[in-house]
Amino acid sequence: MATPSRTLVISTGSGIGASVAARLHARGDAVIETDSALDLSDAGAVADSLRSLVGSGTVDRVVLAAIDPSAFRAAPITLLTEDQWDQAAEYSMRAAFIVLQQVHAVIADGGRVVLILPTVAATGVADLVPLCTAVEAIRVMAKAVARRWGSRSITVNTIEVELAAFMLGDNDSTDAVMPVVPVLGQPALPSGSAVDDVLGLVDMLATPAAGAITGALLVADRGTVMQP
Amino acid sequence: MSGLQGLMEGRVVLVTGAGAGVGRGVAAAFASAGAIVGIGVRRPEAAEETAAAVAATGGTPVILRCDVTDAEQSAASIQQLVADYGRLDAVVHNAVSGRSSEATDFENTTLEEWEDHSSVTVRATWRLAVQAYPHLQKTQGAYLLMSSPAGIEGSERAPFYSAVKAAQRGFVRALAREWGPDHIRVNSVAPLAISPALENMKILEPERVKRIEGLVPLGRLGDPESDIGPPSVFLCSDEARYVTGQTLVVSGGRFTSL
Repeated sequence: MATPSRTLVISTGSGIGASVAARLHARGDAVIETDSALDLSDAGAVADSLRSLVGSGTVDRVVLAAIDPSAFRAAPITLLTEDQWDQAAEYSMRAAFIVLQQVHAVIADGGRVVLILPTVAATGVADLVPLCTAVEAIRVMAKAVARRWGSRSITVNTIEVELAAFMLGDNDSTDAVMPVVPVLGQPALPSGSAVDDVLGLVDMLATPAAGAITGALLVADRGTVMQP
Repeated sequence: MSGLQGLMEGRVVLVTGAGAGVGRGVAAAFASAGAIVGIGVRRPEAAEETAAAVAATGGTPVILRCDVTDAEQSAASIQQLVADYGRLDAVVHNAVSGRSSEATDFENTTLEEWEDHSSVTVRATWRLAVQAYPHLQKTQGAYLLMSSPAGIEGSERAPFYSAVKAAQRGFVRALAREWGPDHIRVNSVAPLAISPALENMKILEPERVKRIEGLVPLGRLGDPESDIGPPSVFLCSDEARYVTGQTLVVSGGRFTSL
């Protein structure tokens, strides 16, 4: 795993996932990406897409950053319809299951899976209950999968970044409506590129030295949320 | 259970999945604490033992047909308690999928199995909250979810169960903040306790149960009524008035790093 040959990036086509893919492309890594229009909760479509992208071979690492954008709309749960709840909370959980299930068929033994999620579930955020619900479910699903795939020496880890970094990635346009996420303080470290921070960790997790790290949560928020 | 006496006197509580196991024990504990207990079950005929356990404490059992995947049934259960007793002070959502004790073949199973878990543990968690909200707002009550250590550490055998139980923890943290201004508290308990599945295992695979018990520093699996019930009652009582957004792991010390 010292020189990963191919990385599969699965995202909704924006935010941190798209930015990570662009950076990997820019530095010359072999990267394949799923179509942003792909319904990640459709097992058949995801299977077809991955098989088409990967061909007869395998991928060495997978980066998954896919939360449905509806989850970022702040609203009290009592104002959500059943369909809105489903889309904002449950769609992303279904998608995580389907994607991870299909990844299992295309990832090489010894491969590395990295999920990127926003830090919101660690503290909970009012009016973002669906998002917090989905994120915590996906994070622990990843831990369960890490236990299952360990026998193939596949590691599965999660990196969490601040919500704004997750939603925007490298795109610093100001027209996005950002939910308010109250935090107790400022980041302990000076500000920097969250995409760089994530890429560093993705690369680190691909090294042989990281082969014993699985089921872990790495929080790359420059010390904003320091979990107990 | 004398330590609970009076903690929930005059309060009205709905416990879902109360027909057996932890749900039955928790229902009986609330009754011991003086609550009127709505015993939410899919099949009322299966609630007799719970009703007897509640009655044995001197409590008032109210059997409710409450399949939590059915929006009308859960709404009707809440409405009936409020209509008959004038208030709702707490909802304890304990129901889980009937397949929760089965192993999940994650790599080969279908969305249907995921939905089976999610509909009871995720969708119903949201729906019960919405349906109970106006009543809990009036009483400044409590919403308690029965989560699981599996929802914290992730289980190889039960990846779906792990994920949906984790979902509840994310839900608890966020909703505690959302409902804090209404003085409604939202918490969860992650129990390690004797379940109907473990009762069966005791008969079929006693050595396996002994191995599990051997991992518990206190040397035994929790009793639903006497071990899991009191902390659950506490979290819904005025004694926990300053506790919200928390998951209390009640596992005899089995899980210490969660």
